[in-house]
Amino acid sequence: MRPREETISVGGIGVHTWVGGHGEPLLVLHGAGGNRGWTRWLDQVSERFTVWAPTHPGFGRSDDADWMEGIDDLARFYLWFIEAAKLGRPHLLGHSIGGWTAAEMATMSAGALARLVLVAPVGIKPETAEILDVFYYSPAQLLTMTVHDPKTVPEWQELYGRPPTPQEIEIATRNREMAARLTWKPYMHNPRLAHFLPRVTNPTLIVWGREDRVVPVECGEQYRRGLPNSTLTVLEGCGHLPPIEQPDVFARLVLDFLGGDSRR
Amino acid sequence: MKLYYFSEMPHHEFPDEEGDKYPSLRLEFPNRFFDREKAAANFRRYLTEYEFADQAGFAGLMINEHHSTPSCVNVGVNMTAAVLGRTTRRAKILLLGNILPIEDNPVRMAEQLAMADLISGGRVLSGFVRGVGVETWWANSNPVHNRERFEECHDLILKCWTEPGPFRWEGRHYHFRHVNPWCLPLQKPHPPIWIPGTASPETAVWAGRRGYTYVPFLVPFEIARELFDFYRQGAAEAGRTVTQDNLGFLICAVTAETKAKALEAGRHFVWRMGPTLRAPAEWFAPVGMRSRAGSQFALRARPRSLATMSYEELVEGQFIVAGTPDEVIDRFARVQRELGVGHLLLEAQESRMDHPTTMRSIELMGAKVIPAVASL
Repeated sequence: MRPREETISVGGIGVHTWVGGHGEPLLVLHGAGGNRGWTRWLDQVSERFTVWAPTHPGFGRSDDADWMEGIDDLARFYLWFIEAAKLGRPHLLGHSIGGWTAAEMATMSAGALARLVLVAPVGIKPETAEILDVFYYSPAQLLTMTVHDPKTVPEWQELYGRPPTPQEIEIATRNREMAARLTWKPYMHNPRLAHFLPRVTNPTLIVWGREDRVVPVECGEQYRRGLPNSTLTVLEGCGHLPPIEQPDVFARLVLDFLGGDSRR
Repeated sequence: MKLYYFSEMPHHEFPDEEGDKYPSLRLEFPNRFFDREKAAANFRRYLTEYEFADQAGFAGLMINEHHSTPSCVNVGVNMTAAVLGRTTRRAKILLLGNILPIEDNPVRMAEQLAMADLISGGRVLSGFVRGVGVETWWANSNPVHNRERFEECHDLILKCWTEPGPFRWEGRHYHFRHVNPWCLPLQKPHPPIWIPGTASPETAVWAGRRGYTYVPFLVPFEIARELFDFYRQGAAEAGRTVTQDNLGFLICAVTAETKAKALEAGRHFVWRMGPTLRAPAEWFAPVGMRSRAGSQFALRARPRSLATMSYEELVEGQFIVAGTPDEVIDRFARVQRELGVGHLLLEAQESRMDHPTTMRSIELMGAKVIPAVASL
């Protein structure tokens, strides 16, 4: 299924979006590393769902939004995006800061969303460990800390196998700046979010890598306890990028979860 | 040309091999290596040297502020200004300076500077800086907002000094409903403002528009000239004339009776250029702190990191001046010819340069160098 690229205007901001597949809409929110495009897991999931994978404002080829201050702004923005793109009541999947955004959206407007998939989301403070300070390290160092074992990543060569072009470096810098703008302080979490999680009764799948060195897996337990209708699946031999590190297993999990019951 | 005495008040009181075990002396070198007794003695010593520099005839005493680093344990530039305001008599007190983007209360900053100006009898030169990335980490201040906060903090301080209170301030980064500082500077309308530059063309233009004194730090002459061109561009936009009083330059300098002694003393500056600047790029320039233009200029301004240069290269590159008074006069005259500056800031004490050597250098500068360069 070949995806198409669209620019969807939300509040005057052009949002570069990958759209592909058929079936019920699934909105996919990327992490701080940016929108990696139509990767293998999306190809599989789009066989049964229409995937909408926007690039956050300030990232990649989407327009700037330097007025934004935090992930709650991004969450409100994506609730607006759902209306602007006429997605109805989509399933929502978010990874890392995209997962945090998804959780915030659900606490703001649970009824606007169908099922939730939260993949190694930041957003709540770990009870014992710490979220890695990603801005403290170079992109190269970070990559080695983000995945468990590059040798097991099927798309490693396509995604990371060659040095980035100047244009790719510019986009990566832009992504990092916008991520810093949204998450600097309190670092990668909202101290108030946990208080609102019980409102979210949507069926929710939480996915984590056992070897996640960026966001400790205990955060997965905390989300599971906070979200009344959630389950946590921990993948062995996997770091912070389950959709990239184990695309086939991950796509299967998502399809099983979303494709099971009809809409809530 | 006027000379200014400057010490970073370092705390080089630990075995170097311990520092070498860490990625940097900044942020992560554990403070269990901070020696409280030695620090207390050092503060007494450093302040004595400043007082002597005042007596020796320096036009100004420059002080600065850093955090989480043994290279500079002067962690409160306004506190030091207040101390020097009482213990010195003639020299200007050049704070270069307060790190505006990490300041959460510009009103308090305006009050403290006003108080230092009052205590010193109107001798404060108020420098404002954006800080290096290390201070941004220390303060946990978002680097993406660094320039915006610098400008807004500056604007609010200036308003505190120039507009009668009470007034309200609702900006993007600062919010105060009742501003009415009951402490205003002695100098009217306010102390002169100085701005340092290392790599940012935007800062040079910004300073030029406002007519502030602009001082590049430890850059090659050709880079300083480029930054001065940006400054002149800003000045021209605002219809201002640039004189040598608007321009300064900072280098490391020491003098002694013989060249051999001076060169031996000058070697201590290498620690400041080398080990104390060693750090991952993200620590000095976190994401978003510099604009693209600033980042590109920084690459050109520092084709080679100072940290990788030998002592001989640093002397050859004019970053360090070490010689007899006559030799130092000659080098300073060259700086003046090359750059046309009216103010030369001397980082004149560093690391393990001992007290007698420092005092003798101050004395010789006062007796021979200051009079000789005064007319340049």
